[in-house]
Amino acid sequence: MESERIVAGLHCGEVLADLSEHLDGRLSFDRAGRIDEHLDGCAGCRRFSGEITAAVRSLRQLPDEPLPPDVEERLAEALLG
Amino acid sequence: MTADDARVSDETLIGRTAAGDPSAFDRLVRRHQAAVYRFARAAAPADDDALEILRETFLAARRAASRHRDETSARPWLLALARQAIDRRHPRSREADLTPLRELARAAGWQSGGDGAIDESAPAVEAAFAALPPEDREILTLCDREYFTVDEAARVTGLSDAAVRTRLHRARLRLLARLKEGDHGE
Repeated sequence: MESERIVAGLHCGEVLADLSEHLDGRLSFDRAGRIDEHLDGCAGCRRFSGEITAAVRSLRQLPDEPLPPDVEERLAEALLG
Repeated sequence: MTADDARVSDETLIGRTAAGDPSAFDRLVRRHQAAVYRFARAAAPADDDALEILRETFLAARRAASRHRDETSARPWLLALARQAIDRRHPRSREADLTPLRELARAAGWQSGGDGAIDESAPAVEAAFAALPPEDREILTLCDREYFTVDEAARVTGLSDAAVRTRLHRARLRLLARLKEGDHGE
């Protein structure tokens, strides 16, 4: 078990709260820079940030499920009626 | 979407649909039916009939085409109609998710050490995604599969922008937790 730390003026819990916003590029330039500084100095948060990034990347890379042919056929019939 | 189909914008197809052109409506359906179906399967409870949600969505779109004023893709509008169809069948609880963020994060391995590796294979990710509650699958579908903006996801779900961002972060943490459970064969 790791313990929460303060690195680059930010507590690990503050970084946790901002990880998705950081990943999506929605933080201000200054805030993103401070998060990056924290991640540079905190191995636990860096690892966890990498895991969330990997989980999101893997979800985004899933192939799109095609519409089953029978559903397409039944939908076309339903919209005609 | 074929190359020929792509040359006609959603806006044009919706306009022609409003004017009573059945071929335009048919093209609009074919262009978006798979995405609406995926959204219905993600956002509705597992035992619901995604075909019925699909049917209600496109019937509502045909009725409302003359009132559609969006100048970009029809996709957020159609998924908002799908969301309304799901709501009619399964009224949503308005209770907030009160689980502390740290608790969710610890379940996903935050502050616990480990090697940072997760199983990113498609079957593992599909299984982890399928095991999430519908509200998590919904927000992940909108933001990480459809690449909607926060504003577009808010329009579909009826949530505030802040609530979309919060829900997305929590859903990603639960997805990571599920992926790690799968890693350990649980």
